[in-house]
Amino acid sequence: MSQFSSSIESVLSSATLAASGGSNAALVVFLGYTLAVFGLAALSNRLMAGKNFLSEYFLGSRSLGVWALALTFAATSASGGSFTGFPSKIYTHGWILGLWIGSYVVVPICAMGLLGKRINQVARLSGAITVPDVLRDRFGSAKFGLIAVSLIVFFMAFNLVAQFKAGSEILDTLLGGVWVYDASVSWVAGITNNISALQDVDPAYLLCLMMFGLAVVLYTTYGGFHAVVWTDVMQGVVMVFGVIIMLPIAIWAVGGMDTAAKKIANMTPPNLCLVQVELENPTADNIAFSSPWFSLKGDDGKDRLFRINKTLAIPAKTSVVEHVKAVEITTPAEIDEQMRDPGQRLMDPDVVADFNTRMTEFVESQIAAAGDETTKAALRSKVTALQRNSTALMTPELGLVNFRVTLALGYAYGAGEKGVYAKGPGPSPTRLPSNPGTLRIASSEPDAEIRVLNSDGKRIVITKAIAAGEDVFVAVDEGDYKIRVVKDGFSVAEKNATVTARETSNVTLELSPASGTTHQAKFDDESIQKPSSGFLPFGIAISFFFMWAISGAGQPHSMVRLMAFKDSLTLSRSMVTVAFYFSAIYFPLVIIFCLARVLLPGMELESDRIMPQMAVTLTHMAGHPWLAGLLIAAPFAAVMSTVDSFLLLISSALVRDIYQRNIDPDVSEKTVKRLSFLFTFLVGAGAAFGAINPPQFLQDIIVYTGSGLAAAFLGPMVFALFWPRANEQGCIAGMLAGFGAHLGMYVAGIFTNGSFFKPHQFLSMNPIIIGLLVSFSACYFVAKITPPPAMDLVRKYFGKRA
Amino acid sequence: MSSIPSDAEQVIEFDPVFLHARREAIVIFLAWAAALFWAVPYCYLTAYGIEGEVPTVWGIPSWLFWGIAVPWVLADLFTVWFCLCYMKNDELGHADDEDGHGDHAVSAADKAEGVAS
Repeated sequence: MSQFSSSIESVLSSATLAASGGSNAALVVFLGYTLAVFGLAALSNRLMAGKNFLSEYFLGSRSLGVWALALTFAATSASGGSFTGFPSKIYTHGWILGLWIGSYVVVPICAMGLLGKRINQVARLSGAITVPDVLRDRFGSAKFGLIAVSLIVFFMAFNLVAQFKAGSEILDTLLGGVWVYDASVSWVAGITNNISALQDVDPAYLLCLMMFGLAVVLYTTYGGFHAVVWTDVMQGVVMVFGVIIMLPIAIWAVGGMDTAAKKIANMTPPNLCLVQVELENPTADNIAFSSPWFSLKGDDGKDRLFRINKTLAIPAKTSVVEHVKAVEITTPAEIDEQMRDPGQRLMDPDVVADFNTRMTEFVESQIAAAGDETTKAALRSKVTALQRNSTALMTPELGLVNFRVTLALGYAYGAGEKGVYAKGPGPSPTRLPSNPGTLRIASSEPDAEIRVLNSDGKRIVITKAIAAGEDVFVAVDEGDYKIRVVKDGFSVAEKNATVTARETSNVTLELSPASGTTHQAKFDDESIQKPSSGFLPFGIAISFFFMWAISGAGQPHSMVRLMAFKDSLTLSRSMVTVAFYFSAIYFPLVIIFCLARVLLPGMELESDRIMPQMAVTLTHMAGHPWLAGLLIAAPFAAVMSTVDSFLLLISSALVRDIYQRNIDPDVSEKTVKRLSFLFTFLVGAGAAFGAINPPQFLQDIIVYTGSGLAAAFLGPMVFALFWPRANEQGCIAGMLAGFGAHLGMYVAGIFTNGSFFKPHQFLSMNPIIIGLLVSFSACYFVAKITPPPAMDLVRKYFGKRA
Repeated sequence: MSSIPSDAEQVIEFDPVFLHARREAIVIFLAWAAALFWAVPYCYLTAYGIEGEVPTVWGIPSWLFWGIAVPWVLADLFTVWFCLCYMKNDELGHADDEDGHGDHAVSAADKAEGVAS
């Protein structure tokens, strides 16, 4: 037993180490980085002395130079999505992400060049400090300014919450394993256990959220726009160095690009599973294992290899943990490699072999001791079922830990298809039940086929009872189901069952002999799920060309930066800088995280953590774990640089566009200063509060808010800047119509695809295209049918200067 | 306060910065369209629905190499030419707040328009 335990514990501890930064050096690097950020904020605050507060605090006095404009633009665009969501997508879908971000070849020139020069000029002409300012002054319409403010606050609030979540998760990965941090987490856990509203919140996440929130809110509040820009510059440098360091190490770690290409070409997508974990000896205390692996014997006698999602947490005095999410590796070469190599943070195969030997000896002794042949046969049947379902961990504390797979879903697109990660449209995962319950199905006959149908008649599971009397466990979403059991030579048995979340519903079906009966696999009332068309069908690929390049130009936080550069030479040189900067980041990221599929299999259900995990793994493999701090600082910097910009955007909207321009136009600078600090702080604190129970889909939220802002703002801004005939009515109509059409496609997604974040794809197009088409059309046609704008406004913004 | 006539271009002499910015925006839009019409059809024809092993260049699928990586380099070269040779170095004007000082926070535009228009 002790031999088992030591091996298993060493495996688990190495897994824990790999899953965390685990290095005080990482903490030192991170603290140094944070101190530098605060230093820049202090310098920036001193710079405000003697300048117009609002212009300096929110726009840096329109004085940005080449490097400042280039790196603040790039760092703000490369948000948490670029370093968490984007790597996650690459890892999940493979090389096709290269096409997904294909339009980044022209993003710098489009996002900065389409509007840059003109919006800067108009902002100078009007004295505008914010984007709503520009629209309001261009048309002399307070109403337009308020509508723009409302939409900015609406979208940015969503986005901020998602960014706070990303920042906190990255921080958790970086600091995990550092004793000061672990002790602090325990302290927080002690507090949150006594607060009912926080009992379900991971204390580590909560601690990181507080630290991240406090840091970013304080330096943004204190330093204003210049602090944000300077930290963006530093963060931009950190990001590009992070990527440049990771790329060669990743290529070296996989044995070269050609080796990796061959492995990727042979990969098949995994199965996504729900697992029931049963303990022989429940413990007195809560215990947790970090992403443990386990293996089972398949029906064909081959090894099946699984990796549990994130942490396997086993509460005190609990013998069964239901619905644990896991990933089953399906590529034979990967299974062999992982099972063979004990250095791979997996189970030691010797432990598995030894355990199996002892199990077999035990079973044979029990069978030998049985009296008659019928009992022996029944025992053998039980053993067959047990071998199929059991074996992985054994510790002195827990005894045998039995894993039972209750649901194993293949990918909706690409299941079993070799090479699907190297070609279009890329594999597409299946969604696991969000509120699962368990069906416990008992069949009177062995080898009977069990089919589970949902209330729409869709067959969602097909499985087999191996042994007579063997209970089959099937995890499904809560709801009503029909269970059908069929076997040749027997009549069909059916029963309905209702499944409640986190409960087990028992169903027993008796099969009656009906000689000569054969059942074909087809039943008239059964249908199967419509096959997925993959991750990136042709129409969606086109949509993303609009999405990044065109919608990038329509982001208010980008527009603000374009209002802040000092002259047009600065703009053109910055565009060149950003072009090379993005080239050095985005394509290498695609390569690095395709290689992550080779290095770190089985992370599909926690792929949002692939970036920090990869950083830790690579630096450990390279023998420089301290570098992890620097590499993880890259995505952390990306999130920080986005959050600080969004914070200022929202607070400027509240202070400048609402308070000063609508409530108290004669407000003193002292009051404006206090209000700016206050609102920046409150907005940040509010977003951190909203992120305590964060939404699940980070990248989906970022895509929704980014595309929504573009749908609402790009059309009106283009017409305002480039069309003298544009008027208030047309541009307001364009803004609201773009917002409405885009939102409508997402709401329609609830009915057609079952989720707000799976928007309806009209003619296979992303909502951004529909939103832009509707917005541009509304701007044009409504302007045409309404009175033209006042001549003095046209002269002011389009006429030749004297 | 008069309204803009339909033939505004004949009534107002347009600001050259506006005209330059508009022309540059059109060229940028055409560059975007060229990238779209090369990358998406090329990748679609060579990466979608293909049987067997995907050919690679330096370990990268060849559809990605020729469809995205090479155009990326060309796009960077185009950006350099466009920004350093084609874009006009226009004078963008001067906002009142750039002077820096002032005893309260109302912008130049607010002063001109009476703020709460």
